[in-house]
Amino acid sequence: MTHYLKEITRIKASCYANQGQLDTVVGTRHFINNNYDKELNLNLLSHTRFTSKFHLIRLYKKYYGQTPMQYLIDKRLERSKELLAKGQSITATCFEIGFESPSSFTTLFKSRFGLTPTAFQKKAIFTKSDKK
Amino acid sequence: MKVKIISIPVQDQEKALQFYTEKLGFVKKVDVPLTENNRWLTVVSKEEQDGTEILLEPSPNHFEPAKVYQKALFEAGIPYTQFNVDDVQKEYDRMTKLGIEFSVNPTEMGTVKIAVFNDSCGNNIQMVQMI
Repeated sequence: MTHYLKEITRIKASCYANQGQLDTVVGTRHFINNNYDKELNLNLLSHTRFTSKFHLIRLYKKYYGQTPMQYLIDKRLERSKELLAKGQSITATCFEIGFESPSSFTTLFKSRFGLTPTAFQKKAIFTKSDKK
Repeated sequence: MKVKIISIPVQDQEKALQFYTEKLGFVKKVDVPLTENNRWLTVVSKEEQDGTEILLEPSPNHFEPAKVYQKALFEAGIPYTQFNVDDVQKEYDRMTKLGIEFSVNPTEMGTVKIAVFNDSCGNNIQMVQMI
């Protein structure tokens, strides 16, 4: 058995022994993956897993290193890039991924990716036509 | 600062290029001839061609400590680099049919599923799927 295999076995036993907690956080992540375009908040997420919202935040962060709401934002922004690259308008994209305000979507997008949704879209479409 | 390139030490650049493109499905991005037979050689993910480039770097052939370090990691089974995939089991099935050797078969580790394979250039590489 290699050193790495021994380490995996040791870490698994020490960090991932609580299957109930794992089911809760993995279930929450799947729920977000399937419903990120809808109105989601911590109350709803914690109700789906029968936990308190504070417990859910703590657990989720312990296993994934970020809070459920941070993950939700990441998920939405990644999806927005796909939609913008297909040529969908900023406003339609904003609503389709579950954000409510195009201006706050634009601000968030820019702070995360360093360019506005419009600039990203132009670049994506230009790159696509360049490759043809 | 931006992350544009990460390096993977390889013992044979041409062999590495074949493995990373033909077996793993990466795409060659930059190939600049340098001194002797060395090249500045990078590949990118097919799905993210504007993403981070992997520099297939011949350091084990030119810098003894790099060679020693690569060998020690390999023998300990430690993967220094990892790639994300949507489905570890599916990739494992595809890659074993191509004759790629695995030192860790698909294994669940809490919130991820992992597997580790030999890139035939001196490295263990880990595949990761978020679950």
